[in-house]
Amino acid sequence: MASAGKSYCISFQNIQAALSTVKPFVKKTPVMTCSHLNRLANRNLFFKCENLQKTGSFKFRGACNAVSKVVASNQDGPDRELSVVTHSSGNHAQAVSLAAQVQGVTAHIVMPSNSPAVKKEAVKSYGGLIVECEPTEQSRVDTADQVAEKTGATMVHPNQSPEVMAGQGTMVFEILEQVERVDAIVVPVGGGGMLSGISVAAKELCPHAKIYAAEPKNADDCAVSMARGERTPLPAPPVTMCDALKTSIGPRTWPIIRDHVDDVITVTEEEIKAAMRLVWERMKLVIEPSSAVGVAAVMTDKFRKLPANAHQNVVVILCGGNVDLEHLPWMSQN
Amino acid sequence: MDANNSVTLKTVQKAADTLSGHVITTQVQTDETLDSLSGRRLFFKCENLQKSGSFKFRGAYNAVSRLVSSNGRTPHQLQVVASSTGNYACALAMVAKVHGVTAHAVMPNNSPECKKRTVLSHGANLTLCEPAAQDITRTVKQVQNATGAVFISGADHPDVIAGHGTMGLELLRQVPNLDAVVMPVGTGGMLAGVSVAIKSTCPEIRVYGAEPEVANGAAMSLNRGERFTFSRFPQSIADGLNVNIGAVPWTYIRSNVGDIFTVSEDEIKNAMRLVWERMQFVVEPSGAVGVAAVLSDSFKARAVGCRNVAVVLSGGNVDPDKLSEILQM
Repeated sequence: MASAGKSYCISFQNIQAALSTVKPFVKKTPVMTCSHLNRLANRNLFFKCENLQKTGSFKFRGACNAVSKVVASNQDGPDRELSVVTHSSGNHAQAVSLAAQVQGVTAHIVMPSNSPAVKKEAVKSYGGLIVECEPTEQSRVDTADQVAEKTGATMVHPNQSPEVMAGQGTMVFEILEQVERVDAIVVPVGGGGMLSGISVAAKELCPHAKIYAAEPKNADDCAVSMARGERTPLPAPPVTMCDALKTSIGPRTWPIIRDHVDDVITVTEEEIKAAMRLVWERMKLVIEPSSAVGVAAVMTDKFRKLPANAHQNVVVILCGGNVDLEHLPWMSQN
Repeated sequence: MDANNSVTLKTVQKAADTLSGHVITTQVQTDETLDSLSGRRLFFKCENLQKSGSFKFRGAYNAVSRLVSSNGRTPHQLQVVASSTGNYACALAMVAKVHGVTAHAVMPNNSPECKKRTVLSHGANLTLCEPAAQDITRTVKQVQNATGAVFISGADHPDVIAGHGTMGLELLRQVPNLDAVVMPVGTGGMLAGVSVAIKSTCPEIRVYGAEPEVANGAAMSLNRGERFTFSRFPQSIADGLNVNIGAVPWTYIRSNVGDIFTVSEDEIKNAMRLVWERMQFVVEPSGAVGVAAVLSDSFKARAVGCRNVAVVLSGGNVDPDKLSEILQM
């Protein structure tokens, strides 16, 4: 579906290079199956368990690739302390912290002052240095810029950085070693970093595989953008249990998504909650709500109606498992 | 059933053949955070990912499969009965269904609701009774008298113990340079079976048990040199371990097990939380007792020279709704 001659901010070669770069650091996560879920979905489902990745989400791949680039581009430079900065309170923050720590780089993590304690603790445990900001988008961006200026740290954007996008795409190489014939890949979408990386890699490695984005209905900027043919960010911060999917797709990820993704499947909060419980109870895997979006998507009527013969083997990305055990979705009052 | 009712390397190997293709060869996972907390290299045997959600499936499958092939009657004429706090009943129900055999489970009425539901969902008949040894024994006898069901003890049946022992064979293949294996102890079937498999093959590998302090029957037995049983069942949060060590497992534990480490309720909760939050695996309180043990001060003090330690995550059957209740420290 990609138009010839169009250039995106990442290429297949970038992802191939990223694979060698991140291999020493990342886990080749297992692909798991569950006969009960297969029966429910009436497909062969293959779950790529990125919840078992280091730091508990796929974000570690992109973070490793981005940090490696900082190290590589300073190889012949003066011997100085290298650092990176990012603004995130979630999985990307933890990923960048550890990716930096294992490569001897300092990580400055800009986090809103009201971030949950468990997230602050996680970042600290991976060696990240927390810089607090006000809980507004503007403050996050401004504070990160200030840190970059003061320390010379390189900014690592959670989903618009090409190195991050390429890093996320490396999981496709593993998937193809682990699953015999991939008919479709279902990918949760927030900012689109993973979806873009996977799309570009899959286009080259398994061009016949369909790519589906899975999104919360309450944060459906990707679905709306695809329907309108033009990037349409969310007008206001969304209300969804999927912390990690609240960002809208960005200017770099949009063109790739527009040209590679076959369709977007949106799911309700109830469907997400049910899918999360299903995976916890049946597969004994702790996945966060954002991961459950892909599982919920394959259980929808929309997905079921897709032609069976072309959608028999479906890979679902379980993107992360960092949950706050004190605030599980089925415990809240809604 | 093996002629002389004993559990040997040979019976465990035969069990492995019987289970092949029917039981999952569960993966072994590692985690750097837990390695640094314990000061060892830990290898987690993920039996929470086993069919029916716990290692009990192994023993149940071996026992029922051998019963079906040795018994003259056709499977649908066969009935089996067992008593269990939960996981063995779930496993037996699932195994029986697969073989076309009718299963009866006798469970204490304070067993977790999710386990009672699972037993019923597999089509087994469920009878609840008081959580006391005499009531359980009496109820099992009643079911046997009424149905002619064959009693397959989850604790003492050699085929069950041999089935559980197959985990030991897998660990020997999956973990290079294994120094020790740690697993939770309830009735002791797993500890007995795995100890036979490991000690018969590599006697220098240490086999350790892990128990809640409040349900420390096996530790007491090992210390005293004779089997100790509680007159009233203990009430640990590790519901699968609120039982007495069985007579048959005890004979193997006494010879093969180097030490049994006991942990507090808070240590169990902490370990469970660590596995959920750091490893992203669903593990039930009993399933985390081995993890609690390797992180404990007593393990650090007494398990000297064990660098590569395998820890069995024995099960993951816990109700997500009860999670915050369970984890309250």
